[in-house]
Amino acid sequence: MRKETREYNFDWMMWNAFSAATRLKSGTEKEYQTILKYTPNFKGVISAILGTGEPGEKFIGICAKYLENLVLAKERGKKTAITTFCFSPAIFYAMDIMPICLEVLSVMMAFTYKRGTSEFLDYCNEVGFTETSCSSQRGSIGAYLAGIGADVDMFVTDTPGVCDTNANAFSFASAYLKKPFFQLDFPPDLTGERSNEYHREDFKALIRFLEEQTGKKLDYDRLRGHLLEVAKQDELIAELEDLARIIPSPVPVPYNLMIYASRFLFAGMPECTGVLESMLKVARENAAKKISALSGGVEKLRAFFCYIDHYAQNLQFWQMLDKNGICYQGNILSHFWSHNAPHVAHYHKEDAAYIIDTKSPEALIDSVGMINSRMPMVKSIRGPYDAPNMWLEDTLGLAKIYSADFIVYNGTPGCRNTWGMVKLLARDTEKAGYPTYIMYADAFDVRVQSWEATEERFMEFLKVRRLV
Amino acid sequence: MKEFFEASTVLNNKYVQQWKKDGKKVVGYTCSYVPDEIFHSAGILPFRIRGFGAADTTIGDTYFGPFICSLPKCMLQLAGEGKFNFLDGAIITPGCDSMRRLDECWRKAGGDIEGAIPPFFFHYGVPHKYSDYTIKWLTDETQRLIKALEEHFNVKITDAELKKSIKLYNHSRELLDRFEALRTPDAPPFSGEEALAVILSGTTMPREEYNTLLEKFISNAEKSPGIKSRVRLMLVGSANDDVELVKVIEGEKALVVADNLCFGSRFYSDRVEEEGDPVSALCKRYLGHNDCPRMYGDYRRRLNILTQKVEKAKIDGVILQNIRFCDLHGAENGLFEKDLEAKGIPCMRLEREYGPLVETGRMKMRVDAFIERIQQRRAAA
Repeated sequence: MRKETREYNFDWMMWNAFSAATRLKSGTEKEYQTILKYTPNFKGVISAILGTGEPGEKFIGICAKYLENLVLAKERGKKTAITTFCFSPAIFYAMDIMPICLEVLSVMMAFTYKRGTSEFLDYCNEVGFTETSCSSQRGSIGAYLAGIGADVDMFVTDTPGVCDTNANAFSFASAYLKKPFFQLDFPPDLTGERSNEYHREDFKALIRFLEEQTGKKLDYDRLRGHLLEVAKQDELIAELEDLARIIPSPVPVPYNLMIYASRFLFAGMPECTGVLESMLKVARENAAKKISALSGGVEKLRAFFCYIDHYAQNLQFWQMLDKNGICYQGNILSHFWSHNAPHVAHYHKEDAAYIIDTKSPEALIDSVGMINSRMPMVKSIRGPYDAPNMWLEDTLGLAKIYSADFIVYNGTPGCRNTWGMVKLLARDTEKAGYPTYIMYADAFDVRVQSWEATEERFMEFLKVRRLV
Repeated sequence: MKEFFEASTVLNNKYVQQWKKDGKKVVGYTCSYVPDEIFHSAGILPFRIRGFGAADTTIGDTYFGPFICSLPKCMLQLAGEGKFNFLDGAIITPGCDSMRRLDECWRKAGGDIEGAIPPFFFHYGVPHKYSDYTIKWLTDETQRLIKALEEHFNVKITDAELKKSIKLYNHSRELLDRFEALRTPDAPPFSGEEALAVILSGTTMPREEYNTLLEKFISNAEKSPGIKSRVRLMLVGSANDDVELVKVIEGEKALVVADNLCFGSRFYSDRVEEEGDPVSALCKRYLGHNDCPRMYGDYRRRLNILTQKVEKAKIDGVILQNIRFCDLHGAENGLFEKDLEAKGIPCMRLEREYGPLVETGRMKMRVDAFIERIQQRRAAA
């Protein structure tokens, strides 16, 4: 790692960058355009997000707020827990713990830094972590391993049984930094009494662990408040998803990213609700006017990504879709499994969804355990891909309900789990009539395949399959 | 020794052939978390599925993606080539992500290639941590497996038979402990290559015959003058079922006198409780005393076990190997290297591919350099 990189804490620097970005629109348009000239590496992402209007401004605002909370957590007397994107943070907020979500930090850095997360990715290897591990955690955990991040009190993950390389990153880092570790483990089945009991007991063990680490008992009233806020967010997301079914879609392309990032950072917190409300307002207006939210105004194709997005600098992935008139119908991360989500109701998958019940402490634990066990990725890729409620069923169901014309797989070479079954999945989705493209890029590391090459191959697929 | 080499280097070995001739069933499994005793008590031969002998991975690559460990790819290759046609069943576990996806890949290959998949196919869900509720899960899961075996093979697995099998396997573990103790003196009576052949045979032949052969081997070995003046190495990390790999590592200068491998000593460490409910006792042993990095957050315990083994076997150097894309062992090897080197124990990390030993030259050169480092260190001391 370069000496200069060690000069400042990386999360502190990102806080400053995002915090400055929140003020960009407070001046005149001329001032805004002038400032962009001075932020050559940052302006692409700023323009793309702020270009979405009020939702974008609010989104940048909550990113800055999250980073501020992270950097100042210790000063404010809070414990910090390094955690993962598919772990609902509501329980942490209910226990006054600051969740540090590795993958979101990796994405933030990949979007905004000229060199992306490469130095931190490589630093992990320098201290013994494998280069073949997933780049989504390595991108930011490298900074914490190098001691250039906020102080960490514990590691909490929920990917054992779902994703080895994710769980292993947490296990490695906790051993390396000698910090307490807790894992929520998942059985291969999603539903049924055995799985429900396992989820419940495991979540109770998590609460005991967090109580031990913080020295405080879980405040059930506080948890109830956060879960009611999650329920409110679920309603908003359900309506946004319903609107996305309209052709042309009134939902702008970057909204999927903003939905899941807001949830991963602030599920159960008013910050997330504010962004969602703002997005819904724009989408409703577009729907009333019956206009496409694509910048060109014409929807040519609809894409469903069966895994994750590509986080090349400056949101180039979303820009590519938008400029080609491709309506982006989300990915495995942006669709949640609340009982009122359109895809749940449409396919009568209520048993695979969660319901928030706040009547009693037991109901609260069950609810939060259910939410966690149905988080994106945790829900869909724990069992065999062709088992009920798993990857194939979810992919085909979502592709159909959102009228996708084709399906794309994108991940990281570190994703042992999906690479173990994606060829089979693609075979089945092709059989079901969906042209399916497997991208060989790394969502978090353009050194594996440059964005330019990734874009060219993506477009080539569309041409070869005569989709354009 | 010949018997052990045959049993460990030929998939459909003479013991399996005889077993099948007698009209009995063989069930394969992919991971050391599956209790052999269950099958033994039903009169079924438990057989640890391996990828040994695969010459390429064309079939494996058809189903698995590119960034996957070559061990399950080799297993699928052999299955697709009909090399596992003697299996009447297969058990897949979520040992790691690459291995658990063998479930789908094998099933799909079975649909494409006639006879590639055995008639009994079972996914055995093993948790990633040890607690009262995970034991309960595994106990229920094992009961589910027992029920499925009983229905498919028309057998009855009783508690009494299970207890007999537990006793037999515990005896085997006692013998293997005696066997391992023979590797600790300055002049061990057999090489690491031979040791692995002996241990591996336990996963591919009937246990009664194995115990008899093992007892004989131990009695003979106790009289042997031993192999002197070699650098004492320990082999740690990813699954290795290839005696040739150990031979390459040992060469003329070294001796592998201990290991921490799932095909090695991890497979027979500890005992199963012989009193009480046998299914629960099996689950406690298999989940609790099987020291694989798939059990997240338990690194310190595994480091302690490793350090004790290093001391006990008077190890000069530790080879921390992992198959490419085996992140669990690869990352843990990084931690082991840091902590063991800090204690003054020389370590070498070695990434390799599973399967045909096409890179022996590179490996040999690196191991020789490591041995030289150890010898120089000894001379300086």
